[in-house]
Amino acid sequence: MSLVIKNLHARVKDGAPILNGINLEIPKGEVHAIMGPNGSGKSTLSKVLCGHPDYEVTDGSAELDGQNLFAMSVDERSRAGLFLAFQYPVEVPGVTNANFMRAALQARLPKGEEIDAVSFYKELRSKMKELGMDPKFTSRAVNEGFSGGEKKRNDILQMMMLNPSYAILDETDSGLDVDALRIVSEGVNAMRAPFRSFLVITHYKRLLDYIRPDVVHVLYKGQIVRTAGFELVEQIEERGFDFLKTTEA
Amino acid sequence: MDFPQNISMEEAFALAEAEAKLEAALQESRNRFTNARIPDRLNEDWRFGRPHQYATALAELLQGDTPSQGEASVLHAGAAAVPVSAADEDLKQTEMLMPTIGSDALLGLHLQRFGSGYALYIEEDTAEPIHLHYKTAGFYTPSTFIMVAPGVKAQVVEHHEGLSENAVLFATRNIQVAEGAELKLQLHSSCMQRYLCITDIQNMGGKVSQLTRHENHAWAREETVAEIYAPGSDIQLFSANLPTSSVLDQHTRQIHHTGGATSNLLYKNVLDGTATATFAGNIYVAPGAHHTDAYQSNRNLLLSEDATVNSLPGLEILADKVRCSHGSATAPVNEEQLFYLLSRGIPRDEAISLLAQGFIDDVIEKFNN
Repeated sequence: MSLVIKNLHARVKDGAPILNGINLEIPKGEVHAIMGPNGSGKSTLSKVLCGHPDYEVTDGSAELDGQNLFAMSVDERSRAGLFLAFQYPVEVPGVTNANFMRAALQARLPKGEEIDAVSFYKELRSKMKELGMDPKFTSRAVNEGFSGGEKKRNDILQMMMLNPSYAILDETDSGLDVDALRIVSEGVNAMRAPFRSFLVITHYKRLLDYIRPDVVHVLYKGQIVRTAGFELVEQIEERGFDFLKTTEA
Repeated sequence: MDFPQNISMEEAFALAEAEAKLEAALQESRNRFTNARIPDRLNEDWRFGRPHQYATALAELLQGDTPSQGEASVLHAGAAAVPVSAADEDLKQTEMLMPTIGSDALLGLHLQRFGSGYALYIEEDTAEPIHLHYKTAGFYTPSTFIMVAPGVKAQVVEHHEGLSENAVLFATRNIQVAEGAELKLQLHSSCMQRYLCITDIQNMGGKVSQLTRHENHAWAREETVAEIYAPGSDIQLFSANLPTSSVLDQHTRQIHHTGGATSNLLYKNVLDGTATATFAGNIYVAPGAHHTDAYQSNRNLLLSEDATVNSLPGLEILADKVRCSHGSATAPVNEEQLFYLLSRGIPRDEAISLLAQGFIDDVIEKFNN
């Protein structure tokens, strides 16, 4: 059981290619990190996997536990177990956090079955407490007027509530102060399990110090150019991404 | 005119002058009804309202033999509610003097049907909202009068409900709010083949907040005139409509006769299919009405490429030292917001309906607060 990406090519709709043949396998239970300089295609990869309409897959495949990911609509991918924590979580005016989460959980139930409101709110409150979020956030519009850190916490809250099998964290550390980074990382670590895997996209070692990955990949010009253990993170921290250019030459 | 006994000469003159003014205004109204044409497309206020299809048919009904029949009921009003009778000349005069936004001819015909509905004389705070219901399966022309006494806090919810697919309702609403009074008003209308509601709010120094909601109409037109007659007055006009009506035609005027007052308007509509919505609003600030603060905003969310919105906000300012602005925006569903909801597994239809509900919930929240 794993997320398998083979020879993935993708581009911005009618634009230049960004992903140029990515091969990646993330088995259940593992945490993989993707690092890479700006513009290497990290965020594009996460968006393409989730089905963002601005991108198109021009070649290759992706399978989620054997299912063809690209044959599914965006919402089907989520219900199949894929989750994306956004680099920039979106503000949704007028839709409260509680209604949003409720609709997302309701969509996972068989037809005719209704979500139990009492246990839903109980669970929501307890997870918010874990993330140090004000209970008032349940009745506030999704991310509207939230600080950068609050938005990121809210995305992690959604991940905790939806219990995905595969979670992609797209630069979740950006915009977080040290305390928020610790809280968010603890939330992620608490979810590490043999039946779940993570793909953590980041520029910095500091997040990976908290969420220690099993495997580290380096993405450069739309391809995975290195795969190794945690030592690769330390290497990048010391030398930057410049060594990639040397390798390239 | 019979003058009261034992009044001074000055008081007698003032009374006579007021009487003469009223007579002149009534004469002017009689003239406007005589001279008014049944709305057609040459009437600027009916440009997008499909007058041939709807106004002409409504006028024919009003002029024809079909009796005005409906059910009027009132809840939680106590002694404040009085059924409107055709013999009540004062109320009839009030209706006669009310302004319209392009529908003088239709109002003139409504007056010929005068004599049903309710008048609410609210002299004490309402413990719970007063509910007024007008229902019809056929053709009905009720009138509502609400007078809120000085310093009184009141809540009124008015329901206009069509009971058959042929239901036609043409209502007028006259609302007077005295100094220091506070009135929270709701108007819910639903399920009419044709629906016209003409409202005049006169604010003499109180606070008025109104929310209108129109649902499941084949054709609906709202004309709301909010008039400010005293400094310190505040009027808040809201409307929030989900994509259920085929034609929704909304016309508003915020008229500041005097300065030192505020008015605010927020009308939001969601449209789907081939629905059409028109919003034409105007803020009028009379000469000398300084220190007026007025705002007007119309927002529309389009769920289909075939839905149409005509949004015409307007300002007419004849005083200095005012703060007035208006805005209008119409857009399809925000793709990033939609993607965010989809990415959490919410099916597309459900996600769009959450966004649509969210779009108008903001109005309801503002009204409630």
